[in-house]
Amino acid sequence: MNEIAAVLERTGLLSPEEREHWKMAWLSTVDHKRIGILYMMTGLVFFVIGGIEALLIRLQLAVPRSTLLHPDTYNMVFTMHGTTMIFLVAMPVLFGLANYIVPLQIGARDMAFPRLNAYSFWLVPFGGILLHFSFLSGGAPAVGWFAYAPLSETPYSSQSGVDYWALSLLVLGIGSVGANINFIATVLCSRAPQMTLRRLPLFSWMIFVNAFLVILALPVLNAGLVMLLIDRLLNTHFFLMPGGSAIMWQHIFWAFGHPEVYIVAIPAFGLLSEIIPVFSRKPIFGYEFVAGSTVAIAFLSLGVWAHHMFTVGLGHTIDLFFVASSMLIAIPTGVKVLNWSATMIGGRIHFDTPMLFCIAALVQFLLAGLTGVSHAVAPLDWQTKNSYYLVAHFHFVFVGLIVFAILGALHYWVPKMSGRMLSERLGKWTFWLMVIGFNMTFITQHFLGLAGMPRRVFTYSDLPGWGWMNMVATVGTFFMTAASLLFVWNLIVSLLNGRKATDNPWNAWTLEWATTSPPPHENFRALPPIQSRRPLWDIAHPDRPDPVVGSRGRIDQFKPEKNKTSIICFILSETGFFGVLILAFLYYNASPQPGPNSHELDLLTTGLFSICLFASSFTIWRAETGLRNNQQRRMIGWLGATIVLGGIFIAGQGFEYWHLFKSGVSVSSNLFATTFFTLTGFHGLHVCVGLIALLILLGLALAGDSRKKPWPALDAVGLYWHFVDVVWVFVLSVVYILPRLQ
Amino acid sequence: MNTQQFLLSAWMWNPVVLAIAAAALALYLIAFRAADRIGWFVLALLVFLLTLVSPINALADGYLFSAHMLQHISLLLIVPGLLLVGLPRSFSLKWRPRILAHPLAGWIAGVGAMWFWHWPTLCNAAVTSRSVYAVQTVSLLILGTLFWSQVIAPREAERLSPPGAVLYLFSACVSCSALGIILTFSPLTVCPVYAIPAADPLGITNMIRADWAITPERDQQIGGLLMWVPMCLIYLGAIFAQIARWFGEPAPARTTSA
Repeated sequence: MNEIAAVLERTGLLSPEEREHWKMAWLSTVDHKRIGILYMMTGLVFFVIGGIEALLIRLQLAVPRSTLLHPDTYNMVFTMHGTTMIFLVAMPVLFGLANYIVPLQIGARDMAFPRLNAYSFWLVPFGGILLHFSFLSGGAPAVGWFAYAPLSETPYSSQSGVDYWALSLLVLGIGSVGANINFIATVLCSRAPQMTLRRLPLFSWMIFVNAFLVILALPVLNAGLVMLLIDRLLNTHFFLMPGGSAIMWQHIFWAFGHPEVYIVAIPAFGLLSEIIPVFSRKPIFGYEFVAGSTVAIAFLSLGVWAHHMFTVGLGHTIDLFFVASSMLIAIPTGVKVLNWSATMIGGRIHFDTPMLFCIAALVQFLLAGLTGVSHAVAPLDWQTKNSYYLVAHFHFVFVGLIVFAILGALHYWVPKMSGRMLSERLGKWTFWLMVIGFNMTFITQHFLGLAGMPRRVFTYSDLPGWGWMNMVATVGTFFMTAASLLFVWNLIVSLLNGRKATDNPWNAWTLEWATTSPPPHENFRALPPIQSRRPLWDIAHPDRPDPVVGSRGRIDQFKPEKNKTSIICFILSETGFFGVLILAFLYYNASPQPGPNSHELDLLTTGLFSICLFASSFTIWRAETGLRNNQQRRMIGWLGATIVLGGIFIAGQGFEYWHLFKSGVSVSSNLFATTFFTLTGFHGLHVCVGLIALLILLGLALAGDSRKKPWPALDAVGLYWHFVDVVWVFVLSVVYILPRLQ
Repeated sequence: MNTQQFLLSAWMWNPVVLAIAAAALALYLIAFRAADRIGWFVLALLVFLLTLVSPINALADGYLFSAHMLQHISLLLIVPGLLLVGLPRSFSLKWRPRILAHPLAGWIAGVGAMWFWHWPTLCNAAVTSRSVYAVQTVSLLILGTLFWSQVIAPREAERLSPPGAVLYLFSACVSCSALGIILTFSPLTVCPVYAIPAADPLGITNMIRADWAITPERDQQIGGLLMWVPMCLIYLGAIFAQIARWFGEPAPARTTSA
């Protein structure tokens, strides 16, 4: 194994002191560059697993009436393929790239929270192991990556596969939220002083915008997963009859699922926006439009999920609105495609491997967009939704755009990461094998879909044309496999004896190329001046620099305190989670149902302990004032009072629960009880977390830590505590007060 | 009555509404003369008139919840927005008391108006009682102006910064979407007076139910969807304007020092 250490040391990925304990040095790292590489390596491992699953699917479908895989095995394989590729490949690799590149591009030393960064990363392999453990526990989930209820419920999937699926997605979801809170805090709080917000390179800008999408969309899925798990483990029926609603699961899943498409697409847009200008030797055409349309895409994507449900039967009225709004997304994406094309027009295009992949991604994405618009038309969608046409469409997005952009980006940035160039010859072979294989597989699937082949089937009859088209699709996957192997080979060869990479081998213009390859521990020895969006161009061409991008002062220089920033982002994210739970409570309790209902609740007792909780918002505010006025004892006193008041609230809630249990009300009694315990229980859990944080603060304050100036922890925890109180205002009104008014 | 007859005959030239519009125009001309932004102001008044005298008003008056929602969106968002754009850039909105100038006050005004007036009792009362209806109309205009003034106050200095405004608009959009989603999918009738019309003074119930095929359930769905989708698109449009404002800042001359 010492050869690996030797190779790593030779390329500069390991310092000589670390040689003896090189594994620990990498596994215990909090350096954003190493974490980025770990993310990508994890993604690569799961890419191999997901790729083998894809091969199995295609081998089974190569000929009609094949018996290679058992139908159940086939269902497991395609569920795992989808889940793996999205949650364990696309997201980790993109977050890994962002982890590596964003701090360099903005001239930061590291991410804002290096330990949170390591934590977020480690949740990925653990989530992945949890998911794959289901194979050993009696069978992987076999319900598709969207796990539609009621198929995913206990009566129809009695084995624990779906439980592992839901748990692992929860783990991964929490990791993603953590990582993206970190991206926001890094971009806002750790930028180099001259790197104003409007000078951000487009990849960093898009990761920043995308991070908001992640922290808003993932909690929606988390809420749905929690409900599914409660259904399965505690015998309730959120998504099951009687009373429950299977459609509700689809709403929750797609309210997450549609933004999710953009969560992996927007970083890919960012990659194209970095690479295409460099290899066209021109600045990006219309930076403002590319940056602005990203915001548009992010916002639009949050509100159009119902177009995934045209075939469910929501009614013409709903369909009509979502046809219109879904088509709108074509505008900002079209703007981007035009900008990238216009960047290439008149440029001196260098057809190196990164650029080839980006051009291919652009073309493939254009086709994906066209079929996407056809899915926005509800009547057309009814015909093609559950066919291979749809499979072809989203693989054009996920592979054609995202995987191609990632491959382009790796060929572009690996020299920066390893200090070694990749072989252009192998790169071009990879490219052509990939493009040919991809189009063989997926262009064919459009026609298969239009010929009526349904998706999710384990085999098919020998209908005219189906056999040979499926065979072509299967052969294509082997081309792609060869391309992937070639790429890994290229990586290994370049690491072993690749040509040394200079600091800036592509003559690019963003800050990551201003440091050595690979960059030193804290990234930069000295930062160049930054006055425009292409600082390295300005240095290379002092006679004709880019126009200065203004700094508006207050806003462009906006650099909030990072603890507060991260807690505000966390609160935003939690709002999404509680929003779903509150909406679910309203929905399920809209009409009264047999069994316990809100009139069993004792408003008086609850009112009393609610007052304690609200009072604690006041006491923590007093504690903050005490800290500001440097009155340590007073601050500690108010902090203690807050903890006592919060404790009373939890005790009161415990008393209420005990009372309900005693009178025979449990979480599975009826949907009122289910939603009541879910909503108040999760709120209670948050209060407990808040209490733990407060106790830690109290301990630190007693130990004298709060004498340090500044002590931002109290402000941050205070914000969280206020948030928990505000949530209780809503819970109290929706659960206790609203039903009494009717 | 068929659709064409209805569309031609259902204009109610309410003298109060006309007088308010005329007075507003007169005030504007006295205060600012024919400032170059007067076009926006006139457009605001036209939308205001269209909302309150056209067949939309007739439909909202006890027939269609969705028409009521159109009025609501128009009075809360479109008219106040256009009014503010129509004021000269030098005009200062001096909100008194000062607390009204706080972004949170504006946000609560804009979002709260939505939630408040869709409380079933109030929603019903606004249809059955003319005075409640008048209060609702005026309050929507005022609350809408409060909401928008954070984003498009005539003076640049009185506006939120572009990133702040984006968050302000986005969170408002989410809150309204939440209500829209509730209205769309709620099995309950939010505004029962529309579901069981008490009287049919215009004789158009048959036309709505048969020719237009709008059942009470579908009516509420359309209402909810109007709030969920097109209304959010208005916020979204404003968000684009903010992004344009953010990137459109003129660049200062290049400084030589690093």
